[in-house]
Amino acid sequence: MNETILEVKDLHYIYADGTHALKGINLKIPRGKTTAVLGGNGAGKSTLFMNFNGILKPTSGQVIFDGKAVDYSHKGLKELRRAVGLVFQDPDSQLFSASVYQDVSFGPMNLRLPEQEVRRRVELGLERTGILDLKDKPTHCLSFGQKKRAAIAGVLAMEPEVLVLDEPTGGLDPMGVSGVMKLLKETQEQLGISVVMSTHDIDIVPLYCDYVYVMDRGNVCIEGTPKQVFSQPDALRRVHLRLPRVAHLMEILQREDAFDFCDTAATISQARKALKSVSRGWSF
Amino acid sequence: MIHIDRYAYRSKLKKTDPVQKLFFAVLTLGMCLWADSNVISAAVLVLMGGITVFRGGTSLYFLMKLLAIPMSFLLVGVLTVAVKISEDPGIMLVSLPMAGVWVGISQQGLRDAGRLFLKALGSVTCLYYLSLSTPLVDMLSAFKRIGVPKLMVEMMGLVYRFIFVLFETAETIFNSQNSRLGYASLNSGYRSLGGLASTLFIRAYRRSDELYTALEARGYDGELNVLEEPYQRHWAGYFAPLAVNIILIVITLLLRQYEGGRLG
Repeated sequence: MNETILEVKDLHYIYADGTHALKGINLKIPRGKTTAVLGGNGAGKSTLFMNFNGILKPTSGQVIFDGKAVDYSHKGLKELRRAVGLVFQDPDSQLFSASVYQDVSFGPMNLRLPEQEVRRRVELGLERTGILDLKDKPTHCLSFGQKKRAAIAGVLAMEPEVLVLDEPTGGLDPMGVSGVMKLLKETQEQLGISVVMSTHDIDIVPLYCDYVYVMDRGNVCIEGTPKQVFSQPDALRRVHLRLPRVAHLMEILQREDAFDFCDTAATISQARKALKSVSRGWSF
Repeated sequence: MIHIDRYAYRSKLKKTDPVQKLFFAVLTLGMCLWADSNVISAAVLVLMGGITVFRGGTSLYFLMKLLAIPMSFLLVGVLTVAVKISEDPGIMLVSLPMAGVWVGISQQGLRDAGRLFLKALGSVTCLYYLSLSTPLVDMLSAFKRIGVPKLMVEMMGLVYRFIFVLFETAETIFNSQNSRLGYASLNSGYRSLGGLASTLFIRAYRRSDELYTALEARGYDGELNVLEEPYQRHWAGYFAPLAVNIILIVITLLLRQYEGGRLG
């Protein structure tokens, strides 16, 4: 099996107003992993995501899904959009129906599945996202976090192979963020799908993501595992990003206070381990 | 209206097939208008109100409050029916001479007014029964099933969904203008309101664009195909309303014969 589910080769995208949003992007989305795409505002993340499922057609370059270049015919696009599900940033522009149940059923209905199968998928999607008890509620009575989950359920019900999410944690409270991230991780592990997400929330990246791309003004400037990416703090700061708070603390301890860590740490548990191993060498 | 919808979601009749409810409400409404009788109007009022309160679980207090809404229009309308102009003061119960004729309330006028009042109230109760038990989403699915053009139903659904988003956006813009003293004077108020309207228009346009993109991402091909949740459907749901209305029609006919006989 191909290790890469989705690949982009020398992708350029120029909007009708002349904005050169993507300038020769090359990246590979690993199969069955969670990939984060980081970047400041206007780095081109959303444009890239819309190229992933054929909403936008590249000005030049290629999008390759599962080893085959994307076919932009009506049929090819339909197949691509089933396989690559896109969850938008603002759930209010994705949820079109006043009934949560109906909205979630929209995607699977468009796949022309039998009714029984659609119902099964809707229930499953609602259950997976933890909003089964909200199916009778009108969309406008949902909280922002619940709307976000409903939007994810609507895409999950299409059973995509790649789930692409534009800022899935944007605008959520801390509990909401960890709730959504846990649900994504669980879904990814249980269904073996690949997840791609953009985020500004650097702190969740080392916790939930396996691979990271950093974008800046239409280019990919850094890539690697979270460990590799977060060991280049200066490069990150140049593109208006930062280290995770914990990694930042570890960096300061190392630089200013002469701590000697043998490994970089970006999460609380990693930092705890690193600190404990250092303190063992101390004598009080 | 937004308020009523919230009650509809809470109704115990929500799960009942909306086509049945529509059938019941419209049939009874038609019957009530046709019968044009005090007894029948009162019966419809009690029947539909009773079902809404006892079967649907809407509070009686709230139903009364809703019935009070059309009251002011109704009273004004009924008053004009009750007041008659005549040259003969003999038929009036109370009258005033005015420019050679008598203006007043006759017994016949009062009876007509009372009948109209009850008929209107009975009909309104039929509609309240429907709107207090059926959220708009269910109503739309009923419309679709009885053959209203799909495009129209889809449009109604989108309007209903995005009216709330539009309200929210308008409120946010208004609040942000207001907190910067945008409505401090009449002049600035007009200017702010103009800004609000144009921004709202642009936002709505942008949102429709985003919505289309998001729909496309889920395989939109010109039709908003969705599945409704299954409703409780049973043939008795059609039979019971039919039976009730037949009984009411028979009563009307009997009453007419009786009154006709007495008059003759």
